[in-house]
Amino acid sequence: MDFQLTKEEQLIQGAAREFAEKEIGPAVEEIVSSNRVPEEILAGLRELDLFALPVPEVYGGAEAGYVCYILAMEQIARVCPGVAVILSVNNLAAAAVNIFGTEEQKKRYIPQGTRGDTAFSFAFTEPGTGSDPKQLAATAKKDGDHYVLNGTKRFITNSSYRGPIIVFARETETDQVNAFILDKFCEGYSVSEPWNKMGVKGAPLHDVYLRDVRIPAENVLGGLGKGFWILKVAMALGKIGISSIFLGAMLAAYEDGLRYAVEKTHRGEPIAKFQAIQMAVADMFMKYESCRWMTYRLGSLAERAKDKGDILKDSAATKIFVTETAVDVARISMGIHGSYGVMEDYRISRLWKDVIFGPQVEGVSHLLKVLVAGEILRK
Amino acid sequence: MRIAVAMKPVPDLLQIRMKDRRPVLEDVPVVLGAIDRSALEIAVELKEKTSGHIVVLMAGDGRLEDTVKEALAAGADEALLIRDARLNGADGSLSAHALAAGVRKIGPVDLLLFGEGSTDNYSGQVMSRVSEILGIPQAGYVRDIVVEGETLIVTRSLEDEEEILEIRPPAAFSVLSEIREPRIPSVTAILKARKKPATVLSLDELGVGTGSGAGVETVSTLAPMTGRKGERIPSLEELVRVLRKEAPGGGA
Repeated sequence: MDFQLTKEEQLIQGAAREFAEKEIGPAVEEIVSSNRVPEEILAGLRELDLFALPVPEVYGGAEAGYVCYILAMEQIARVCPGVAVILSVNNLAAAAVNIFGTEEQKKRYIPQGTRGDTAFSFAFTEPGTGSDPKQLAATAKKDGDHYVLNGTKRFITNSSYRGPIIVFARETETDQVNAFILDKFCEGYSVSEPWNKMGVKGAPLHDVYLRDVRIPAENVLGGLGKGFWILKVAMALGKIGISSIFLGAMLAAYEDGLRYAVEKTHRGEPIAKFQAIQMAVADMFMKYESCRWMTYRLGSLAERAKDKGDILKDSAATKIFVTETAVDVARISMGIHGSYGVMEDYRISRLWKDVIFGPQVEGVSHLLKVLVAGEILRK
Repeated sequence: MRIAVAMKPVPDLLQIRMKDRRPVLEDVPVVLGAIDRSALEIAVELKEKTSGHIVVLMAGDGRLEDTVKEALAAGADEALLIRDARLNGADGSLSAHALAAGVRKIGPVDLLLFGEGSTDNYSGQVMSRVSEILGIPQAGYVRDIVVEGETLIVTRSLEDEEEILEIRPPAAFSVLSEIREPRIPSVTAILKARKKPATVLSLDELGVGTGSGAGVETVSTLAPMTGRKGERIPSLEELVRVLRKEAPGGGA
C-alpha cells in the first residue's frame, strides 16, 4: 500500500490549486454575490481540462482517472465550492453517457461536457420525490418513433447553461423508469428562477419544466428499463465529486482555523499556545486527514471497478462521513475564531454556510445510511 | 528555432523550515526554480512562433526524472538529465561544465536560456560560464526576446535604463522572472509529459572529467538573525521621533 501521490497526481493537484488561488480566489466575492461563475473562469477551467478530467480522450477529455479528479476538485472547492459543483455534476452526467450511451450519443453529447461554455445536467429529483424512484412522476409517452416528455424536475444544477441533460421519466405504457438524453433549451424546456440557497454559491439550482418535449426514441440512454441501473451508477460517481468538494471546503475551514490560532494573540501570546486551542487544532487535523484518505481511496476504487455501481456502498459511506465531518471541522474552526467566526468579514462564516449543504444534498445522510447498512447486511 | 533551457531542481522554498539558522531540507520536495519556469515560458512562446523545439537540460545528483515532468508538461519537447554523485552541492563551475557538455551532446542550438539565478544559491554565474565554455555571445538581465528574421531583439533591464541588443544566434541569455509568467499546465499536457523522451547521462558519459571539479568551498550558510527590540514608547511624540531616527537615511 503506497500513500504517495505520483508526480502526475501532484502536478494536477498543483495546477488546480494554482488556478484556484490565482483566478478563482479574487472572484469569490463576485461569485457569491451574483451566484454565477464568470465566463472567463469557466474558460480557464476548460483550458486546463478541469472540465473533462475523467472523460475519455477520444471525446475531448483528459482521461485522467478518479484520483486525479478528486485531487483537482478538492483544490477548486477549497477556494470556491460552487465552481466545483458545476464540474461535479457535469462530470457525473458525462460519465453516465460514456458508460451507457451509444457511440452516436457519446460523440454528440460528451464533447459538450468538455468545452466550458456548455455543461451537462442530471435531472432525477422532483417536487414529489427526492430519492425514491418509485415516486417518480415525470412521464415519457411514446408517439411513433418519438417520446413526449412532461414533468417538473427540482434543484437541477447547470440547468441554466446550454448543453445536454439526462432526464429520468416513467414511460406511460410500460411504467418503466427510463433515462433520456436531450439538449437543454429545446422546445418545451424552461427553468424557474434560481432557488435562493444559503451557500455553495456560483452553481445556481433551478427547477426544470418539461412541457411536451418531443425527442427521438434513440435518445433513450442505456436502453429501455435501464433507468435504475443508470441512476445507481450516477449516484455512485456523483458522490465522488460531492465528497471531494466538501473535503476541499473542510480543508479551507481547517486552514482558516489554524491561521487564526497562530495569528490571534491574547495577552501577548498566540492563542495556539493555549491547550483548548491545541485540542481543536488536533481535532481538525485528525478529521481532515481521515476524510482525505477515505476520499482518495474512493477514487482508487472507482478507477478499478468495472461496474461503477459496485462502489455505491463505499461512495455513499464516504459522502456521509466527509460531509458530516466537514460540518464538524467548520464548527471547530468557528470556535477558534470566537465571536469573529460569525462575522461575515471572516471567510469561516461563508464556509459554514457552504459545509452545512453537504449532508443535505445528493442523498441526505439518513437515507444514505439506510442504503449503506442494506448493502452490508445483504452479504 | 532550437532552444535549450537549463533548469535547476531546487527545494520547494515554501516548505523549508529553519532550525538553528540553517534550512531543514529533509522531506522537502524538489521543484523547478521559479525564474527557470519563466525562462521555459518565453522558450515555449518562441517555439510556437518559429515551429521550434525545446530541450530541457537539468543537472543534479538526485532523481531528476520526476522533477523534469513539470517542464515537459509546460511545453518542453524532450530532456537531457545529467545525473552524477559529483553534482551534489556542485558550484557554478562544475554545473557549467556539465551543462556545456549537455549542450554539445544535444547538438546545435540557436538559443540557450537560463533563469537569472537559482532560487536556492542564486550565484547567477552559470549562464556566463557556459557561454564562455561554448564560445557563444551572452546577455544577462533579459526581460524580453523577440525574433525578427535571423536576428534576436533582446531587451535587457539594467539598473537605470533598458538596453536593446540585436544578436544573431547562437546565443545564451539569462532572463528575469518578469519576462513571462509561467503557464499552468493542462491536465492533458501533464499526462502526455510522461511519454516525452528524457535521456539520463552521467558526467563520465558526457566526458566531463574530474579536472572540472568544484573550485569553491561553501563554509557555512546561515539565515540572518532577526529579533524584536520590544521597546516601550511612552508618547506619540516620542514614537514619531524614534520612527524618524530609524527610517532609512535617519532623522530626515
